[in-house]
Amino acid sequence: MLAYVIRRFLLLVFVLFGVSVLVFGILMTFSPERRAAAYVTTPQQAKDIPRLIQQFGLEDPFYIQYVRWMREIFRGNMGWSLVASRPVGEAFWRYFPVTLEMNLFAAPIVILFGIWLGTVSGIHRDTWIDHGTRIFAIVGWSLPTFLFALVLLMIFYGYFQLFSPGVLSDKLTMFILDNPEKFNRFTGMYTIDGVLNGRLDIALDALRHLVLPVLSYVIVVVALNMRVMRSGMIEELSKDYVITARAKGADKKIIHIKHARRNALLPVVTVAGQLVAMSMQGSIAVEVVFTRQGIGWWLAESATQLDMPVLMCICLFMGVVFVITNLTLDILYAYIDPRIRLT
Amino acid sequence: MKRGSIVVCICFLLLFLTVSLHAVVKNPDTFILANYGNLRTLDPCVAYDVTSSQRLWNIYEPLIFFDGSHTDKFKPVLATEVPTLENGGISRDGKTYTFSIRKGAKFHEGGDLTPEDVVYSFKRNMIADPDGGPMWMLLEALTGRGSTRDKDGKIIEGIFDTIDKCVEAKGDKVIFHLPRPYPPLMGILNYSSSVILDREWAISKGCWDGDIKKAAKYNNPAPGHEPLLKIANGTNAYKMKHWEPNKGFVFERFEGYWGPKPRLKTAIIKYVKEWSTRKLMLQNGDADRVRVDIQYVPEVKAMKGLTLYEVPLLSVTAAFFCQKINPTGNPNIGSGKLDGNGIPPNFFSDINVRKAFLHAFDRETYKKDVFNGLVIMPTSANVEGLAYHKDVTVYEFDLEKSKKYMKEAWGGKVWEKGFKMIITHNTGNEMREAAALMLAENIMSLNPKFKIEVRNVEWKDYLVKYRGFEFPLFLIGWVADYADPHNFMYTFMHSQGVYGRYMAYQNDEVDRLCEAGIQTIDPKKREKIYHKLQDLWYTEAIAVPLYQQIVVRAYRDWVKGYVPNAMLTDANEMLMDIWKE
Repeated sequence: MLAYVIRRFLLLVFVLFGVSVLVFGILMTFSPERRAAAYVTTPQQAKDIPRLIQQFGLEDPFYIQYVRWMREIFRGNMGWSLVASRPVGEAFWRYFPVTLEMNLFAAPIVILFGIWLGTVSGIHRDTWIDHGTRIFAIVGWSLPTFLFALVLLMIFYGYFQLFSPGVLSDKLTMFILDNPEKFNRFTGMYTIDGVLNGRLDIALDALRHLVLPVLSYVIVVVALNMRVMRSGMIEELSKDYVITARAKGADKKIIHIKHARRNALLPVVTVAGQLVAMSMQGSIAVEVVFTRQGIGWWLAESATQLDMPVLMCICLFMGVVFVITNLTLDILYAYIDPRIRLT
Repeated sequence: MKRGSIVVCICFLLLFLTVSLHAVVKNPDTFILANYGNLRTLDPCVAYDVTSSQRLWNIYEPLIFFDGSHTDKFKPVLATEVPTLENGGISRDGKTYTFSIRKGAKFHEGGDLTPEDVVYSFKRNMIADPDGGPMWMLLEALTGRGSTRDKDGKIIEGIFDTIDKCVEAKGDKVIFHLPRPYPPLMGILNYSSSVILDREWAISKGCWDGDIKKAAKYNNPAPGHEPLLKIANGTNAYKMKHWEPNKGFVFERFEGYWGPKPRLKTAIIKYVKEWSTRKLMLQNGDADRVRVDIQYVPEVKAMKGLTLYEVPLLSVTAAFFCQKINPTGNPNIGSGKLDGNGIPPNFFSDINVRKAFLHAFDRETYKKDVFNGLVIMPTSANVEGLAYHKDVTVYEFDLEKSKKYMKEAWGGKVWEKGFKMIITHNTGNEMREAAALMLAENIMSLNPKFKIEVRNVEWKDYLVKYRGFEFPLFLIGWVADYADPHNFMYTFMHSQGVYGRYMAYQNDEVDRLCEAGIQTIDPKKREKIYHKLQDLWYTEAIAVPLYQQIVVRAYRDWVKGYVPNAMLTDANEMLMDIWKE
């Protein structure tokens, strides 16, 4: 098992190299002028484009630019983010906690709620419960996150003045700014930092700001998990061992929960794992609508402004996340299905 | 069941009660602006966008600033008096400007303002002169050159000595020596690149050390390496409390301010990109002002509890004819020949073609349908609000005249063979898209052989491609750097102007007049020059003037004191002017 894990981590190096060459190559398809234009915003500044090309060596051959970039990465310099007005590394640690905080609350709900809903739907196949959950799944999956987030914001914030956008209320933000010695930013996540600093009011306020973003995300994403779980349950419930168990008079609850659900979980684990991994790149719609500047927002802004160091950084990060997620899933498979052995 | 119903009823009652609370002034000593501008730097020598200028203008102070709504009248700020020809502050030959410096002003970190700080600030910013920055304005005025480097990026010999000599302190005065008269200088001194730094503080933070021999070392810092990127220390009424990139910027009142104490204690600028979110924040009183893009104006007009201001800006957008299109692999001109499947690279060098396009633009419909009347239709590049503006004749919308000019164009070949081309605008700009579509539709209605397609191009690509002479007809705008006709007329009409060059437009008389305009200080003579240039704009059919924007600023009605100024865009907010009650 240990050898398997080590081998997979060694493979990570090659994966990251491949990702970096691919993304760098794609970005190189933009002309040097276009890449230099990322540094200018107005027609007044455009006169300096030729000098910017020279300054950054944007006309050098691909391999020279790639090696130069790699050398800087090994020196710990990931470049400068035009969008964030900060070094990429520093900016990453400012935006990532915002995305991670939302996922910490959203991911368990997506997984557990999806499994429960799928199980219920599968067990009660072709009943009103099944129809209801299926409609919920279709609506949820086909609803654009952006639209759904806006509707929630209009109802709860616009009309009821509850759950304002942002990550924390102005009053508490000013308190933290005025008293930096009284509030340590351990993780960059206010819900956790609030608890660690003994300030439950801050943790609860941050939690209140998370309600609508988490809800918008969960409703849209949970549908996929639920549908996979439902299909799995229906398939398992029609298998011979379930029919035999039923014929022998075994308890229905035990058949559903202990036997059928466990076997149906395997594909769900794959889907849920991929969903969690994907969620690490943030939800652009949710972050934009609820003014939570996280990785998703940063990625979208950087893509439109061709902020190359950021695009490279996020692609590499996502490469790491997916490799680790797949590894975790493989280990989980072995745990769920003892027939699978990792060698 | 009964108990449950009671709980639900109470919950709804509480929710409705909270809804009815929003008539009260929220956060009376804090101003909140929801905006979406990206703040890139706090270094005055690098900042060249409206968002950065807004921060700098509230933290630092220049020698003089716009007086109320005037763009050409100034009030003293760190100078005690505005220099004029009458008070002797400006010499008769227009080459020496003398400012008396205010005493008693303090920087946020405790330093006292001195004339040496003023001299240092100007020299330091000009020495740094980063690529893509705003320093060309001061360099052009004070040294006669628009950059410290030549076309190849090499430092121009002797430029730092020229900078060293162009500004000096004498007693409590600071004197600027110009190589030639430069009338827009007073306007440039308002810009955020002309704010005053604390010399000792700046040096301690890694700025130029004051030794002119070492100036080259501090020239052209790379993006992100400017010493004052994240820090600020000015003399103005507000200091920076906090800056979280793309999240928020917090100003705090500076209690040691030399002038009248501003009423607001704190101001928060929040980054909110989504319009619906901004709108709801304004509606709920969680923002005192939000940025309103033109398409959302009807929505804010329908909202209650707001005060709206309509502010024309010193800006203009036009459709430019490129007279020397780059034919190499250029899909925008089809076959590159006048054979019905393209246009030749010099298609627009025939004035008849240009006039045909000008007569095909329906100004009235455009104003009514696209802007709901909330726009100024410019007649030339010298827009309303600029000195020496006059309404020149325009090419009225007349498709018969348009047809007549097309028939005359290229000796009748255009009408006989037809043509095919592409009009481009930058992605997401609906006003420009509407203008491009209108021109295309109207020209195509003249003759079935005329085929025009409208395409959008992402902004950064757009910047690169129009400079590569790739667009036959491109739509682009200009916002004033300073309020002087030179900033517009030279840009649009001179063969070396930012747009004149890329239209490949060349007219010796126009070039001569543009150059004379900047070297003449007598207002009457300048007026004559700029009036002539505006007449030439019409007779030469240089471009299609499209619109001069009017921005709508939406404040909660409890915000008082806002003073509109055409030079300050909606990204700006001068905090010392406003209060809440």
